[in-house]
Amino acid sequence: MATTQQVLLSPAELAYLHASLSLTPPIRPDGRAPNLFRPLVAETGILPGTNGSARICFADGTEAIVGVKAEVEKTRGADATEGGEDAEEDNNREGRSEWVELTVEIPGLRDDDSGTAFLSAMLQEALLADGGFARKLWINRRYHWKLYLDILLISPPLSYPLPLLSLTTHLALLATRLPRLKSEGDEDPFFDDDWAAAPYLYPRDKKSSKALARPPVTLLVMAVGRNIIFDPAKEELAVADVALAVSVGEAAETDDDKGKGKGRKLRLLSIRTIDPPSRLTPPGVPNASNAAYGAAGATQKQPEARMAEAEVVEGVWRAPRGGAKPLVMAALVQKALERGGVADEVLDALDGVDLG
Amino acid sequence: MASIKRSLESDPLQSNISSKVYVRSTKSGKVQKIVCEVYLRQDIPCSSKLCHRCREIAPTDSAGQPIPFVLSGAPAGTSVYPNGHYLVPDTNAFLSAMDLFEQSSGFYDVVVLQIVLEELRNRSLPLYNRLVGLTKSEDKRFYVFFNEFRLETYINRLDGESVNDRNDRAVRKAVAWYGEHLARTKAKQIPTVVMLSNDRENLRKAKNEGIAACSLANYVRQLEDGEHLLDMIPETEDGEMIKEKRPNELFYPEYFSMSKMMTGVKGGVLHQGTFNVSPYNYLEGSIRVPAFPKSLLILGRENINRAVDGDLVVVEVLPKDQWKEPSTQVIEEEAITKNENPDTEEGSSLVTERERKALQEEVKRTHSKTTEGHAQPTVRVVGVVKRNWRQYVGHIDQTSVSQSAQQGRKQDTVFVIPMDKKIPKIRLRTRQVAELVGKRILVTIDAWDRDSRHPTGHFVRSLGELETKAAETEALLLEYDVQYRPFPKTVLDCLPKEGHDWKVPTSTDDPGWRDREDLRHLGICSIDPIGCQDIDDALHSRPLPNGNFEVGVHIADVSHFVRPNNAMDMEASIRGTTVYLVDKRIDMLPMLLGTDLCSLKPYVERYAFSVLWELTPDADIVNMRFTKSVIKSREAFSYEQAQLRVEDASQQDDLTKSIRVLMALSRKLKQKRMDAGALSLSSPEVKVQMESETSDPIDVKTKQHLDTMSLVEEFMLLANVSVARKIYEAFPQTALLRRHGAPPKTNFDELANQLRVKKGLELSVESSRALADSLDTCVDPKEPFFNTLIRIMATRCMMAAEYFCSGTQAYPEFRHYGLASEIYTHFTSPIRRYADLVAHRQLAAAIEYEAVHPSVRSRGRLEAVCKNINVRHRNAQLAGRASIAYYVGQALRGKATEEDGFIMKIFSNGFVVLVPRFGIESLIRLRDLAEPEPSAEYDAETYTLKTSGSREIKVELFQKVRVLVTDQKDETTGKRGVKMEFVKAY
Repeated sequence: MATTQQVLLSPAELAYLHASLSLTPPIRPDGRAPNLFRPLVAETGILPGTNGSARICFADGTEAIVGVKAEVEKTRGADATEGGEDAEEDNNREGRSEWVELTVEIPGLRDDDSGTAFLSAMLQEALLADGGFARKLWINRRYHWKLYLDILLISPPLSYPLPLLSLTTHLALLATRLPRLKSEGDEDPFFDDDWAAAPYLYPRDKKSSKALARPPVTLLVMAVGRNIIFDPAKEELAVADVALAVSVGEAAETDDDKGKGKGRKLRLLSIRTIDPPSRLTPPGVPNASNAAYGAAGATQKQPEARMAEAEVVEGVWRAPRGGAKPLVMAALVQKALERGGVADEVLDALDGVDLG
Repeated sequence: MASIKRSLESDPLQSNISSKVYVRSTKSGKVQKIVCEVYLRQDIPCSSKLCHRCREIAPTDSAGQPIPFVLSGAPAGTSVYPNGHYLVPDTNAFLSAMDLFEQSSGFYDVVVLQIVLEELRNRSLPLYNRLVGLTKSEDKRFYVFFNEFRLETYINRLDGESVNDRNDRAVRKAVAWYGEHLARTKAKQIPTVVMLSNDRENLRKAKNEGIAACSLANYVRQLEDGEHLLDMIPETEDGEMIKEKRPNELFYPEYFSMSKMMTGVKGGVLHQGTFNVSPYNYLEGSIRVPAFPKSLLILGRENINRAVDGDLVVVEVLPKDQWKEPSTQVIEEEAITKNENPDTEEGSSLVTERERKALQEEVKRTHSKTTEGHAQPTVRVVGVVKRNWRQYVGHIDQTSVSQSAQQGRKQDTVFVIPMDKKIPKIRLRTRQVAELVGKRILVTIDAWDRDSRHPTGHFVRSLGELETKAAETEALLLEYDVQYRPFPKTVLDCLPKEGHDWKVPTSTDDPGWRDREDLRHLGICSIDPIGCQDIDDALHSRPLPNGNFEVGVHIADVSHFVRPNNAMDMEASIRGTTVYLVDKRIDMLPMLLGTDLCSLKPYVERYAFSVLWELTPDADIVNMRFTKSVIKSREAFSYEQAQLRVEDASQQDDLTKSIRVLMALSRKLKQKRMDAGALSLSSPEVKVQMESETSDPIDVKTKQHLDTMSLVEEFMLLANVSVARKIYEAFPQTALLRRHGAPPKTNFDELANQLRVKKGLELSVESSRALADSLDTCVDPKEPFFNTLIRIMATRCMMAAEYFCSGTQAYPEFRHYGLASEIYTHFTSPIRRYADLVAHRQLAAAIEYEAVHPSVRSRGRLEAVCKNINVRHRNAQLAGRASIAYYVGQALRGKATEEDGFIMKIFSNGFVVLVPRFGIESLIRLRDLAEPEPSAEYDAETYTLKTSGSREIKVELFQKVRVLVTDQKDETTGKRGVKMEFVKAY
């Protein structure tokens, strides 16, 4: 899938970018370290009418808003007459993926655009991958909450918006509250009218008001040569050899983890390869075969076609071909998940956002 | 990045904006988060005449006039608040003691807070309406203060605070603000602002906050005639104390939670319906639910579980081994719970020994029978969805009054026995026992707790001595919820300015004549009961050259005077009908219209709405038309006069001739109706003769039926049917019609069985025609009244006719069963029935006389109207009958006559006798037969009761008996009624 529209860089520029990103350490156009996120500003609770909402601005000017609305819905196929004989089997409660409906809106794109659809599928997949999320929406055997996530990019899509949308969704869900249930068992649900008493979808620690569990985040990681670069900007993505969307969740802390020092226990939820725009870029032409430099066969109609087959020439741009190498993939995932790594940092940063 | 949240900090008006966030659950099951922004202002006046500052800033009305201030500058003081005081009641104060606020002896200068008003509206609409009425009355000086919009008095809900606590706090805040605000006026005497509440917690908090607050009881004691008013306060204050005494003693099972009940009802496990108490057995109730064709039985106090007749309850079906037969015994509350002491709930169990015994006999009987099919499903009440409590008329049970209470002002607990036997005894705490004994009093039920055998209530007011005409009439009107207060000024303002001098305009160019036909030349006359003042209808007939007859029915044109949706129309739609009591008429419309301007009085011109037919001599309709008209009635006959005229062959004037034609046609019409299967039903009707001077009843007569009565009736039916067709054609969705549902066959099961067993007669009920025919065959050659008796009993098996809006039913359901007419409405009595008035408006629109008014076109509005007039109509009938029953009792006072009667219902311990001469029926219990009570053997198969021992008689159903009719004051209801003693069986 194409991540953004056509990149407006010349082969020479692409070659230059690629070269600088391949250095050790890589030199990024904006001077960031390879695993440094772009600075962002975030706030929650911006839409009073929703159950939870958040807004994030990246420094490059992209901005997204997410609103979460919840509705009570009757569970299909639920048996109304069945008594609550095994009420203690609450752990067996199941969630279903259709309880979450997620829509993404990107300005300038139709909502059935393949890029948009792919984005929302990825976000939804990450959300449901841990299996625990839909279960949170269980009210009783006959009713559940249906969650509508409206994800809006409100700036033009200057860079591939996946990380932005994912982080905003993450924050919005953290801020989401559902009315407090007052009825018991499998009765028709009946809720407390006090909004202040509504519990958070992701329960929080009473003292620190830090979330005890958190929704997943999806990070965009790319590789150029042997270098692994997080949160690529638009230009960087244009020369990526491989781009991956890595969804990371926080695993529940078990006893074994206690005392193992700081850092979270992260869990890989899903990986998607993303077709970087670099594949569609036109290749550069080496001087050797450039007619302007008097090369032979310059009269040929399609020098590029032949060039693609030719040897790699240092300093001449050539679109990457073929899939990701397993070793690179493994390294990408490893980097994302490592303790104190990027995902950890991002989650730490999001922890700092005031969720009140 | 700038935050896009509403930044209250930077907004200069931030203090004026607040927001409320709460969760709303809708009826359809949706749960929504609601965010309201509240815009607060500082110019909402305190409305005290002392305050000048508010006067300067108070907003003006649309005309730029300042709104007058309400609260007095020099309010009355009390011993505790010598500087005068303003009252600020909380919601509970209004909920529990609205009657107090309506007193004229106190409760002036009251600030009604907006939050209190809103809460009251959510809790009880009738009370809300009464309070709104109070705020409109000028002399009571009630002021609605919009505390939720005034900056200083608005508060936000705190964390974990319940809505009630928040509202209580808002009330205290408003009281505190009022206090400070008034203190700044620098008036000489600054009135105290007093919070009135019955909530202990609220009072305690107010005390902590230093706010003047007072419980209702404490406040009332400060008033001049406080002692009297004290009784009108419900006893919530002492409630906790009582509970503390006996924490474990709960008589009744707990109700299910609302959500559990609703889930059950939706799932079909529980059933919802209106609870009805059997008139003969207070421990037996029935409930009709949509899921079952027959109604379900509820037996015993525990299963009835605090439901009161009329409540909307949810029930659960009991296991089959607890199914029972409906009782054949008469169980009266009075007889069984006679010795209970209202002060102490001494019986340790819910069901007293005596009650248990009474029920035990029932069970024994059921068990002794082997016939399985007889047992009916029984249910128990698991919760009450909606209480339908109203104010009840009753009197204090003499036996429940302790000796010490007869004197002194000590608060005492007594039982009130409601006039309606279906309502349980009500426990009442009062200080005026001595004064109230022997009076008709009005009480309300406050609560029925699980730990109390009887509901508790409080005293509202006294109607007067038992058995005085004024008290009994008012009691009757209250009991049947008849609106009998005089018409308010807004209604009277709608009357024509000319008053009694109003006349049909002489010039036919007058707008009143627009599209009106001039029928003044016709020989129209009216035939009504003697002394009728509100003449709705008049008739005429004249021969046509082709041998046919023109017949006209002319109905008072009430819709000309009562315009849709004005105050008079509203009042009439609420009243629904005129109520006729023996000595009193409670009008639906003001007198001026009912008895003068609309009434088709003789010799004067009147507006009318006419239906004109061309009928063949065989009474077939050739054509018909409807028109607004002007008529001049030649004569107003009584039925008797008209009858005499028709029979007197020497009378050969045009008017008499025309009546004779009408008479002949009406007979043919009637025959046609009968052929179509119309039922001729019967109910015992009597007329009470009054002494003309004192209007004391002197004699009772059965109503005589005259041919002239059926003459009028036939043509009215014809007019109604014709109009029904016309308006249905014009408004298929919204025509106001009247239907009479075919009764379910099971209704007749009992009667058919009784006839088969006792008389060998078959009752076929397939159609109204079949029923009419089989009723005709139900004759006993030796006993002419037998047929009428069966008709009376058959009538009681029928459904009630009802008004409906045509869009709500399918056409086949329109059928009027009793009249055997496909379609029917009421058109002919617009002076006394609101339905007719609506039909008039619809017909006027249908003939394009006037534009369709939205109110006769809106289905929702019409459905609401139908619902109301159906209830009013029924109540009016019941009130009328009750009035006759009362006067029959009065007429028989001190006399004892032997009369013939018939047994219409038989129980294992008594039987009901109907005496046609007085149109009364009464229960004769076995224990009335002789002392000691004779033992009896009841054979339910043959409806025979045989007694042995102290007195030996044998009675059976339909038997003619001789009874001694005397009057007796019924101790249970306090009504004077007849008492029958069994003399002999024929």
